[in-house]
Formats: sequence, C-alpha cells, structure tokens
Amino acid sequence: MSDYIRVCDVEKYYGSGSHVTKAVDRVSFQVEKGEFVGVMGASGSGKTTLLNLLATIDQVTAGHIYYGDTDITELSENALSEFRKKYLGFVFQEYNLLDTLTIEENILLALTLQGGRKKEIDEACGQILGLLGIADIREKFPYQVSGGQKQRCACGRAMVNRPRLLLADEPTGALDSHSSQTLLETFTDLNRSMEATILMVTHDAFSASYCGRILFLKDGKIFHELVRGPKDRKVFLQEILDVLSLTGGELTVQPAAEL
Amino acid sequence: MLAKLAYRNMKRSARDYLVYIFTMTVVTALMYAFGSLIFENTLPRYAETAGILEMMTGLATFFIVLIVAWLINYMVRFMLEKRSSEFGIYLLLGMKKKEISRLYMRENLLLGGTAFLFGLALGILLRQVLMAVLFAMMRMEYRLGVSFHPGTLLTTVLCYAGCYLLALLRCRRKFRKMNIHDLMNAKRRNEEIRERGEGIKRLLLPLSVLFIFAFWTVFAVLDNTGEIVLFLVGLVLTIYLFYVGVSAWVICYVRKKGNAVYKGQNLFLLRQFASKVRTMQFTMGTLTALFTIALLGASVALMFSDYENTVLEDKFPFDVQLYSPEVQEDFADEMAVLQEQTKVLEARRYHIYTDQSNQVNAWMLTHLRVWGTMFRKEDGTPDREKIEAELKNGGAYCASDTYMGLSDYNALRAMLGYSAAALGSDEYLIQVKSRLAGEVQGMAQDLRITDRWGEGTLSCAGICADAFSQDGHNGGDYVIVVPDEVLGRMQLYYSELAADIDGTVPADLGERMNKTGQNPDRLGVYAEAELRPNECYGSDMIIAYAEDILVRDNLIPAAKYMLASVIIPLFYIGLVFVCVAVTVLSVQQLSDSAKYKFRYDILAKLGLERVQIHRLIRRQLAAYYLCPAVLGIVISGKMILFMSGRFVEATGVPVSPLSFFIKSILLFFGIYLVYYVVTYISFIRNVDER
Repeated sequence: MSDYIRVCDVEKYYGSGSHVTKAVDRVSFQVEKGEFVGVMGASGSGKTTLLNLLATIDQVTAGHIYYGDTDITELSENALSEFRKKYLGFVFQEYNLLDTLTIEENILLALTLQGGRKKEIDEACGQILGLLGIADIREKFPYQVSGGQKQRCACGRAMVNRPRLLLADEPTGALDSHSSQTLLETFTDLNRSMEATILMVTHDAFSASYCGRILFLKDGKIFHELVRGPKDRKVFLQEILDVLSLTGGELTVQPAAEL
Repeated sequence: MLAKLAYRNMKRSARDYLVYIFTMTVVTALMYAFGSLIFENTLPRYAETAGILEMMTGLATFFIVLIVAWLINYMVRFMLEKRSSEFGIYLLLGMKKKEISRLYMRENLLLGGTAFLFGLALGILLRQVLMAVLFAMMRMEYRLGVSFHPGTLLTTVLCYAGCYLLALLRCRRKFRKMNIHDLMNAKRRNEEIRERGEGIKRLLLPLSVLFIFAFWTVFAVLDNTGEIVLFLVGLVLTIYLFYVGVSAWVICYVRKKGNAVYKGQNLFLLRQFASKVRTMQFTMGTLTALFTIALLGASVALMFSDYENTVLEDKFPFDVQLYSPEVQEDFADEMAVLQEQTKVLEARRYHIYTDQSNQVNAWMLTHLRVWGTMFRKEDGTPDREKIEAELKNGGAYCASDTYMGLSDYNALRAMLGYSAAALGSDEYLIQVKSRLAGEVQGMAQDLRITDRWGEGTLSCAGICADAFSQDGHNGGDYVIVVPDEVLGRMQLYYSELAADIDGTVPADLGERMNKTGQNPDRLGVYAEAELRPNECYGSDMIIAYAEDILVRDNLIPAAKYMLASVIIPLFYIGLVFVCVAVTVLSVQQLSDSAKYKFRYDILAKLGLERVQIHRLIRRQLAAYYLCPAVLGIVISGKMILFMSGRFVEATGVPVSPLSFFIKSILLFFGIYLVYYVVTYISFIRNVDER
C-alpha cells in the first residue's frame, strides 16, 4: 500500500526573534506499510524532534503529516490522544515502564486502556509475551529484570495493540551489545511476522543496519537516503559506515567483532 | 557561599513543601493563641474554676508538641531522603559531611523560622478571635487590644524550636553514618516493591475487619480495666496491620486478575494504591490514630458546647436560689445582702417536705436508664440493701422522698412565668427534669401516696417537665407536688428561698452571701464530712453543679468558663491533629507527583487524554485521603456513639447522639477538602508541567 505515512514539508522552529533554531527544516518523506525505516544523524541533527512530531508529542511549526488520509497536524489535543492510543506504539531509550506494575501488567494496561473483553486481553497479552520471550519473567517488576528484558517488555507494550506505526527512539541506547542484538532481531521479527511498520531513530550504525531504509539527517534536513534492498546486512552496514564517514564520523559504530 | 546555597535551597523547598509550611504556620499560630490562654488569661476568674483552663490548655499543648515534633521529624527526614542524591553530589564535589549537615540545618532553620514568623503574626490575630469568642461565650464585652506576653512568646518559641532541634540532631546523626554511595542510592532504594508472603498477609484484612466488628459489638459492655487495655492494644495493632492487609489484598486481587483489573485505568490505580499503602503502612496507621483522636476530641467538645447552648440556661431558672438544711432557717442574713446589693422584685421562702418513706427514690434508682441494673438483683427485683446504702451515702437523692405544697409550687411557677397548676384534693403531680419526662411515665402506677386523712391514696394528675432547679434545691431530679392539706401528714425536710431580681447582679453576689457564714460550700462539706440526709444533687452525671447558693448571673459564666476549659483544648487538639495528618498525606502525594511525573507521561503516551489523567489523579488522591479517614471514622464511631449516648442520657441535651458524630465528621471533612483541593491543584500542575 503506498502513501501509508506522508511527511510533507515539515518544519519545526524553537525560540523566537533572532534566536530561532531550525530543528527540522522542510523535511518530506514517505513510509510504506510494513517498512522498517531508520533515521540517523549526529546529536542535534533533529532526529528526535522529527520522531516527536510523528509521535504527535510535539506540534509542527509548518507542514503536514498524513497517516493515510488523516492530517495529524490538524487534530485537536483530545483527538490526538485518541489517535496515539489507536495507531501508535512507542519504545524509548529509557524503557518508560511503570515501576509499580509487573512486566505482564505493563502490557496488560495498554490493552485495558483500549477497552476489551477479559479473555481477549489475556490472549493478546500471553501471545505477545511468548513472541518476545519474556513469558517467564511476567510476574517480575521492572527493577528485577535486565535492561534488555525491560526494553522487550516496552516493545511488547507498544506492539500489543497492533499499531499502525511503531516509533523507537534510540531503543538500544541503554543496552549492552548482546541485548541490543536480541532487541533488533525482535524488531525484525515483528516487522516480518506482524507486518509492523517501524520508524527507528538511532545514531548507532550497527542498529541501523537492521533497517530496510535509512534517512540521514543533518542540521534538520535529509541529506542522504540508503535502501538495503536484497543486500546482506554486513554489506549494508559497510554502506552506512561509508555515508557516515562523509559526515565527519560523529556517529558511533559497534566494534567489528560483534558484527 | 553556603548561606547563599542554603537560602536558594530553602526557596526551592518552600515551593515544594508549601503545604507543610502552611501547616507549620497554622500550628504556630494555634500554639501562640492557645498558649496565651495560659499566660495572659484576661477572663474573669472564678474561685472554684481558677486554673482549670490553664491546666487543660497546658495538657493539650503537651500532646500537641508531641505530635508536632513527630511531624517535623517526619518532614525533615523525608526531605533528607528526597534530596540525598543532591547531598551525595556535594560530597562528591569535596564538601565535608559536617558542612553539608550544617547547610541542611541552616536551610531547615530558615524554613522553620519563616513559618514561625508568619505563624506568630497570624497567632496574634488568632488570639484576638479566640478571646472574642471566649468573651462572647461568657457574655462579656471584649476590647480588642494587641498584647505581647513574653511568657507566651517564650513557650511558643521553646516548643517549636525544641521540636525542630530534636529532629535536626537526629538527622545529623544520620548524616554522619551515610556514605556517598548510600546517599546517591537512597532514592532508588525505596522504589523497590517487595512482594513476599502476600497470601498470608492478605488474611490480616479480614482479621482486622473482624476485630473492628468485635470492637463495635463488645465496646459498650467492657467493664474492667484489663479488658479495656486488652481491647485498646488490639485496636492499635488492628490500625497498623489493617494497611498491611489492605495492600496485600489488593496485590493478590491484581495478581489473580480480578474482573476490575480489566476496566480502564483500574490496573494502574490499584497498583499505585497498593504500592503506596505498602511503603507508607506505618505512617497510614499513625494517621488513622490521629484522625480517631481528633474525631473523639471534636465530638466531646461538640457535646459540651451543645450542652452549654441548650441545657445550661435551664439549669438555673431562678435568679437566686438558696438552700438550708435547717428547717427553721429564715435566710435573714442573705436577704439583707440581697436587698442591699440588688433590686429584689419578689422573694419566697418555702419548705420541702418528706413523708419519710423512699418509694419514689427507690423507683428512680431501679427504673431510670442512668442507673441501669445497678440497683436490681439478678432476678430483676429491687436490691433493697444497695438502695438503702445509696440513699444514705450516694447523694443523688435525699434519704427520704421529697414533696412540695401546691401553693409554693404555683408561686414559684408564677415567678418563672409559667401558668399555674391545678390539683384536685386527691391528686398529686410529678415535677421532673425535662430529660426524665419520658422515663417516669410508668411511675404513677407504682406509687402509693396517702391522702390527708391517711385512708385513701392520691392519684396522679400528670407529669410536668418545666425547668425547675432540681439539682438538690426543688428535690433531686423530681419533687412530688401535693395539695397543701396533705402536707399536714408530712415532716418539714429543708428550707429554700427563691428570688426574682430586677436587672443584673454584682459578679460577687454569691460570694458575699456565702460569707454570711451559715452556708459553707456544700461540696467542701461533702469532702470533709458525711452527707446530710436532706442533701442531694440529682442524677446528672457528667456535668453536675450543686451549691447551696445559686446566683444565675454568677453561675452561668462560671459554668461556661469551666466548659470552655474542656471544649477549647479538645478542639485545639482535634484541629492540630487533623492538620498534621492531612499535611503528611499531602506532602507525600505532592513529592510523588514530582518524582513519579514520568508515570503520567507514560500514560499520556499510551493515549490517555489529559482529562482522563486528571480524573485518574482525582481518584487516586481520593483513595489515599479516604483510606485513613474512613478507618478513623469507623473506629471512633463506636466510641463517639457510645459516649454521646451516655452524655445525652445523663445531661438531657435535646439532640440525637448521632448528631455529634456527624457534626465532627463534617467539620473534619471541611479541613480535609481544603487540603485535598490544594493537593489536587498542585499535583496537576506538577504533572502537566513540561
């Protein structure tokens, strides 16, 4: 399906008068259904701002963002809440799990907020716990499990309602290399098995190599785009590193031993 | 630099702990205003009651200082915990522990000092209000005037500073023991939720409920100290264990995935509630105890204040009334004083008679609710021995029954502005206190009063319950009114004089008449010697006022003064306890709203609308606020209902016992509501802040 998500001439300015910072500067791109898109860029390149705009957490200064036929820049605050609940899932670097709830309950809450019958909720929850391999720690509290497990729980919570788009902001940022790899494989699985559309912001080339397409951001503008196509992941990683070397090598690369 | 840092930190703390500062200001104001009652009591003194108000206020202040010390200690430690990672950074930067602890002390002294100064200003104002209320209660004019007594100030400062220093010294010890790692991790530590043995802990909830139920059923029949102490210990345990049970029960419910878990935000609410109650279980228990005491205090205060407003006026219907045990007494000396000091409109000297039997007294002792089954044997028949002993030594009733002639009765009624009573030659009338009117309905069937020829018996013409000074003057509780001719068969018992005075009387009229020498204070005599057979006080239990010389205009203010010395300290305690309790709740919630703001951010990201989040917060706050209050109400409820039932029975206040309970609950929910709304607004502000 084409035109699944369309970002048209989006701008976001901060500050006023002579101190205006252009965080996002006339950015346009499209995301197809079932795509796994990465956004890369150095610190301050505007990638998180872009993600926040897509996530409806922040408002654009100018431009439009269409999800299908819906222009989210035109929606009221309450309509946006409803939209978030129905169509979006989030995974953040700092997990953002509720500390008073167990792993299972964190996922359950996302379902109960949507409403639904007990049996359906339990089924959906059990399914996603199994899919992400965290069923055995379902009764543990976030502080009792590892970072990787927390992040998988966050993924579970984001995916359990089958959102139109999964937004991930540096999801591997706080994870060790092994957990990162597991998580990225989880993303790939979700992308394939559930046809989840994923938009991931990262400054890590290794993480980005799992994506199908990568947008490179610099000073708020898209300056390059890479498509993986049928290429092997290692080849794709090399391509990413080549692009990064052009930008001055500000971005991080996982040690070669782990590739 | 340190002073600057301390000042900045204080400014920040003040914003974070506004509710606490507000309460400390109010507490200081209350301490000052009530303290002034001890040191600058400008109310007129009454010989018998001198020092009571001071003593009672002092006692209340003692309890209040204890609880305020707890609040300050709690808050100082709470703030320390909240800011431990900040202190860890100071240590990391090379500050010495001593310097940091000094910085923290300085901050707190600044904070406390500010609240104290505001409180003092408010206190001086509040003192005026309090004195004006007291003077109005005693129907005296009060002139506004700002006064400043060093004693009051010194006590307030000492109480306040003592509490603060104690708390800070304890903190200093804590500082000395801490290391950087502990400080940096102190915050993280209390976030861990431990769930172990919830299935067993859950049983504490039904057990607590069972105990409270038992408490409600058994409380009224507890009759020895051992049982009462045992029950109180059980109650204290119940209060604390209840919260362990509640949180365990909620946790088990969530784990078992009860149906409510699947509805909307319930899962979040239930978990929040369980974890908060778990981490605060001891504090919640203490708050419940505070509410219980506050409600008890306020209810008792309301009982006495109701008494003062409704019954007191009826207690002394005559302007002046005199008693003498001597039947020949002509009250000449007293009349001389009266005529010299006042304008006597009418004065009547009369006698109370007796037929030397005690059938009415025995009937009263065996039938009135106040006496219960005290004077009955196990089979229900009157216990003559006990009745005899009571009539000889008890003092509620005279040794023999008391009678009055119809002409005297009607003359006295006329003096009070009542219509005259009519009796046939073979009739009698029962004149009782109004609270007993309902209880003596069956009396006439059991009485046999012989007529003037000693042949037939009189029949009862009715019961009259107008206020008639029946605390030992016109009989104790009752007097039987008979036609004058019947008195011929009876003996003179004691002498009385009632007078109607025009205008007001001098404040020391009673004292002047007492100095005539023939009427020593009856209570004094009671303490020293045996009770005279023709002396009695009636069955009023909680508030009894018996004196040979009753001067209404002197006695009502004195009685009000005495009542005030009960009412005021109790309200004082109630007010401070409730404020302290809700402050702890509010500060806890507000600091949570800042610390756990992320929880609400996550909910927003999960798609909860702002309105929904606000509603969620309202529900969450309501649950925290209601939990200790409801338990406090349930526990104090039984005690209050029991006490007020007895109070109404013993004093004849014309209201339902339930009314005191409801009124004190309303009073406290008023204060509660203020704190709830303020907390809610600040909570929302914290959460909505970007």
